[in-house]
Amino acid sequence: MPSTDSPSAVETSQPEVAAPLAQTQPNGKGKQPEGAQQSSANTEKSKSNSNGKPAGNAQETSSTKKLTPAELKKKAKEEKAARRAQTVAAKEAESAPAAPELSPAGPSTVPQPAGGTSGSQQRGDGQKGSRTQQRTGGPVGNSRNLPFRGSQKVAAATAAPVVPKKEDKTVEFFRHLYRQRTTSIADASKEVHPAVLALGLQMGNYTICGSCARLVAMLQAFKSVIEAYTTPPGNSLTRHLTSHVLSPQIDYLASCRPISISMGNAIRWLKLEISKVDVDTPEAEAKKDLCGAIDVFLQERVTYADKLIAKKAAGKIKDGDVIMTYAKSSVVQRTLLRAFSKGKRFKVIVVDSRPLHEGKHLAAALVNLGMDVQYCLLNGLVHVIQNVTKVLLGAHAMMSNGRLFARVGTAIVAMEANEADKPVIVLCETIKFTERVALDSIVHNEIAPADELVTPGGPLTNWEDMKKLQICNMMYDVTPAEYLHMIVTESGNVPPTAVPVLHRMGNESG
Amino acid sequence: MTPTQKGYAPNLTVFKKSLKAASVETSIENLISLLKRRQIKNSRPCAMATAELLRIVVARDRWTDLGKLIAHIQDVGRRLVEAQPRELAVGNIVRRVLGMIRDEGNEDRKNEGSDSGSATGSPQLEFSIPAPTTTKRPPSSSLRFASTDGVHFTEDRPTTRPPLMTSHTSYAVANNVPVQQSMFNLLSATGSPNLTPSGANSPHGDSTPHPFALSEKMINSTKDLRAEVVNGIEEILDELEQVDDQIAAYALEHIHSNEVILTHSSSVTVYKFLLKAADKRKFTVIIAESYPNDHEETHLAVMGKMKDPESEEEDKETYLKSLQAAGITVILVTDASIFAIMSRVNKVILATHAVIANGGLVAAAGARIIARAAKAHRTPVIVLSGVYKLSPEHPFEFESLIEYGDPGSIVGYEDGTLVEKMEVDNPLYDYVPPDLVDLYITNLGSHAPSYLYRIVADHYKPEDVNFNNPELLF
Amino acid sequence: MDSVGNVPPKTLTGTFDIVETYHRILEDDPEITMPVAAIEALVELLAQTDAVTVYETLDLIQTQSAFLKMNIPNSIPLQAGTELFQQYILSCLKPSKTSSGNFEAVRQHLVSNGRLFVHRAKNARDMIARHGQNYIRDGNIVLTHGGSRVVGALLRKAADVKRAGGNVRFKVIYVVKDQRSIECRTVIDSLRAKGIPVAEIDEGTVAYAMRKVDMVIVGAEGVVENGGIISRLGTFQIAQLAMAAKKPFYVAVETHKFVREFILSQDDMESDIDQKIIRFEPDYVEDPTPKTPIRNAVDFTPPKYIAALITENGPNVVAAVSEQLIFLYSV
Repeated sequence: MPSTDSPSAVETSQPEVAAPLAQTQPNGKGKQPEGAQQSSANTEKSKSNSNGKPAGNAQETSSTKKLTPAELKKKAKEEKAARRAQTVAAKEAESAPAAPELSPAGPSTVPQPAGGTSGSQQRGDGQKGSRTQQRTGGPVGNSRNLPFRGSQKVAAATAAPVVPKKEDKTVEFFRHLYRQRTTSIADASKEVHPAVLALGLQMGNYTICGSCARLVAMLQAFKSVIEAYTTPPGNSLTRHLTSHVLSPQIDYLASCRPISISMGNAIRWLKLEISKVDVDTPEAEAKKDLCGAIDVFLQERVTYADKLIAKKAAGKIKDGDVIMTYAKSSVVQRTLLRAFSKGKRFKVIVVDSRPLHEGKHLAAALVNLGMDVQYCLLNGLVHVIQNVTKVLLGAHAMMSNGRLFARVGTAIVAMEANEADKPVIVLCETIKFTERVALDSIVHNEIAPADELVTPGGPLTNWEDMKKLQICNMMYDVTPAEYLHMIVTESGNVPPTAVPVLHRMGNESG
Repeated sequence: MTPTQKGYAPNLTVFKKSLKAASVETSIENLISLLKRRQIKNSRPCAMATAELLRIVVARDRWTDLGKLIAHIQDVGRRLVEAQPRELAVGNIVRRVLGMIRDEGNEDRKNEGSDSGSATGSPQLEFSIPAPTTTKRPPSSSLRFASTDGVHFTEDRPTTRPPLMTSHTSYAVANNVPVQQSMFNLLSATGSPNLTPSGANSPHGDSTPHPFALSEKMINSTKDLRAEVVNGIEEILDELEQVDDQIAAYALEHIHSNEVILTHSSSVTVYKFLLKAADKRKFTVIIAESYPNDHEETHLAVMGKMKDPESEEEDKETYLKSLQAAGITVILVTDASIFAIMSRVNKVILATHAVIANGGLVAAAGARIIARAAKAHRTPVIVLSGVYKLSPEHPFEFESLIEYGDPGSIVGYEDGTLVEKMEVDNPLYDYVPPDLVDLYITNLGSHAPSYLYRIVADHYKPEDVNFNNPELLF
Repeated sequence: MDSVGNVPPKTLTGTFDIVETYHRILEDDPEITMPVAAIEALVELLAQTDAVTVYETLDLIQTQSAFLKMNIPNSIPLQAGTELFQQYILSCLKPSKTSSGNFEAVRQHLVSNGRLFVHRAKNARDMIARHGQNYIRDGNIVLTHGGSRVVGALLRKAADVKRAGGNVRFKVIYVVKDQRSIECRTVIDSLRAKGIPVAEIDEGTVAYAMRKVDMVIVGAEGVVENGGIISRLGTFQIAQLAMAAKKPFYVAVETHKFVREFILSQDDMESDIDQKIIRFEPDYVEDPTPKTPIRNAVDFTPPKYIAALITENGPNVVAAVSEQLIFLYSV
């Protein structure tokens, strides 16, 4: 880690205030403009957390030379967070009657009030002790190839207009997709519930990742929000809850990472549910009903749907099949496991790509069960596709024009499969269906921080200093409907043309 | 941070140096082991090393007639090709040298014939006009040659010497006759050796003599011939030196302002092409990093550290001008983003490892998905390739052209024993079928893929195509 | 038609009938191809005529060729032979380095070497087989149809490689049609005799079978200027199915079948070859088969379906056909 050498060279031109930052700043941050000082302090902090090895050291050593401005700011923020957590906790205590029933439902996402002091130092990672371990403990953290998708770079990008000499590093075609992400609870509005606060951060750094996982976590957190809710005098729950309480939570989550399609569908459903609550229903009963409805919703639309899809799709797998999949989808994994546990003997080819290498985790999981696995990156795709009998793909969303919105690279796999005349099967819960349409992968997408593509110490170190160089790290692509042959949903196996029909049945009819 | 010393320059340079001192046989063995151990790799270094070696073989070996020389070159060529069958450029250079020697023999003989011949000139002259390749020299060169019998072994090579197959010329002139005759073979009196094992009586003309038949005549002029052949090989070496710049000369015909060009990996040929276009135009280049085999070099290239292959110094790293310094906006993307970003791309420019006569090509892995994605988006695909990469070999199985790399660069030691428990593939090359390519740009010009067979035929004699594959020689 | 057949009597000794000669040559030697039969017929004509001048002879050959064409329903294959013959004479008469320009010598050469030409044509088939067998790899399944002698030779050659100790094991799917089962039978039996498993399917099964197939190899009666082929009826649909299944479609053919004729489509071909295959009948007919023997019916396969032509000179892209013909006629 060249955390000390390369940036310091650039630092000489920087104002005094910024100079001490270099001590804990990892590479590439040297040119942080003064205008972005505030945010750089924030990002610096998140970086030290998320960037693996140095974080641990920095945390330890900083206790001795603790008084850098960055550390001071961090401390101030922690205190602020702690204060807020306390007030929230106090609120929770007020609404105690509802709390006992609900806390067992989502223990992992409901932060302890105390998390405000110790937990927030790890930016809400406190609840996930093991993860924190991985992140800060050097070798273990490195063994996971999953990079930490902090949004450090966004600060630099958006700061560009402030300091003219700083080059805009955003890619022109995607400029509409870059937005500043909330990376610390300090920026959050005070209406945000602690459970949601923590969740937002977890989503932002990809601890909770995947369309369904995020959906489930969000609804669980909203349950906490509802439980903690008290209707102010002169208002009704029906009118007040959505606009005054739920909306800030949603805005905050969206600021951490754009809301997924499935989350959007669930939010719409929840709002509808709230609006249907009779004004005369007692508050406690209404809250209980809502939380119950959320549980049923999750059960039906996610848990049961996943099971059903896995069952159906596993039925399509025959002995001797060669199944290709791309990256990692939980429902694809579940399908493969189910088929394997039913005694089917088949081979799995996992295709993967940089920078997430999600497929490696899937491959490792399958190998450990004794399955026959072949692994390659996209460069090996065309060499193995001839032997494939079926392609199973996961989805982030199914667009209304039958196109598949999924992890970037999926379109390539589907294209080659189509060329080789192999059936392409998408496994997708109807909660991921949307009325939106997409023709290309540029209008609607998500841009991840470019630094994820920089291998530490590799040739791209300090890439921001290279004029006219941009690095684009998009997260999704759109697969044309003609490459897809079947979509397995909990409502049946359908062709891509049936997506709008199922969407209307599932997500729009209340 | 110093870039890893992966470039070919040191080994090629070392090999070149060793040629001066070592014996011919030692040099051959040396190159064979360099090829085997992949210490000399990639088309151009392999082609250069082969040409350098053959120059030594021709210059130093004892040979008394062209027939023996051809046999010897064939033998050396076979050993080299065997050492590294997937570096098709090696075989290509051997074939060109063989063809050149045959031409020397034929021309020498023809000269003597034309002393008594009519003033109308040789039939080659007639066919030089429809010759399909761009000849930079005036087509009259063969006329000049025909009228300068015997005096062409002078120092002033470019003006008095008949063109050999260099970047400027090709076999077109000499080769049209066989093409045109091939349908007449059925009826002809001479016939081709293939079709008439029993010599037919011949009312006119004379047949192509077997090289061995030339032997007697050759003894007298061996010294001159030696110089001629060495000169020819040097022209091939010159071509190899200049090929990238020659291809780059076409850049402005293909890149207009504000284009978005997609390419992948780190190819000096593509790089120089883009730089040349950047002299006059502003545009954007999207580079796919071609992980896991070439991403380091690609990253270095986008950071302005593309090594200059012409640089002779071993110790000092000299870099080509960076694309950005030339005014190009460079966007680095992952290989997975290719399909997503293709809707914004105007043109795809690919480099090759080898080009096959059917118009298909072998290129760094990932080229096929790029070309396929371009096809899906109706985006034109341009392939840059020096003619020395054009191979006449017809692979009956494309997978046999593909070399596989170390699986460890995909699943490394940090993943523990994972790599042992599953099959991990890391191909270094892709075969891209001809229907995915819209245009080839070589140092001879721009060609449709369907026309490549002709460029290939122009550069190799039919009898040399399968020199390394005796079971196909009949 | 009469004007064409009206050959000036003084140039012909006896009663020479080129059509009859052509048919006789084809019948005498089942191994002979149509273009070569036409060439042989012209050689006989040359032997029998007492025309002396160059002009007379050329004129005779031209009129007789045209007459032959008029009297054969599918004349495109033989046209390849007659035109090659004429072009050859023309090229020889041009004084050049490789030709003395002596007409009598040319004539003598042609007349005395008739058997040699046949021999060469058969040799070409052997060469195609040697080139083509390389396409067949271990474990392949090859689909073919019709009674093409070239394809038969090619497959037998590949089978011999297997016998010689190589480990090329392949299977053949043979599309058999009732009307010409006899010619297919010969090839199939000879393959089975060499230990090659053959599946016989009818034309309706091709699309179903295509997924199992690695490549399609067919023969052709003629190759036209754009590289498209004229071949036995049914070839075109197999080519389309092969392309739809992304299987390579190879044509094994001698270069003497290249013909300077440009055909665009089936309709375009019908103007040259009147086959009357599709007949609309208002009423029920006992025997719906067309009057023209369907046995010899052909169709046209456009070049875009053809992966490569396997000729005696090795694999050729379709673009090479036009080039060869351009050079042939630029003499």
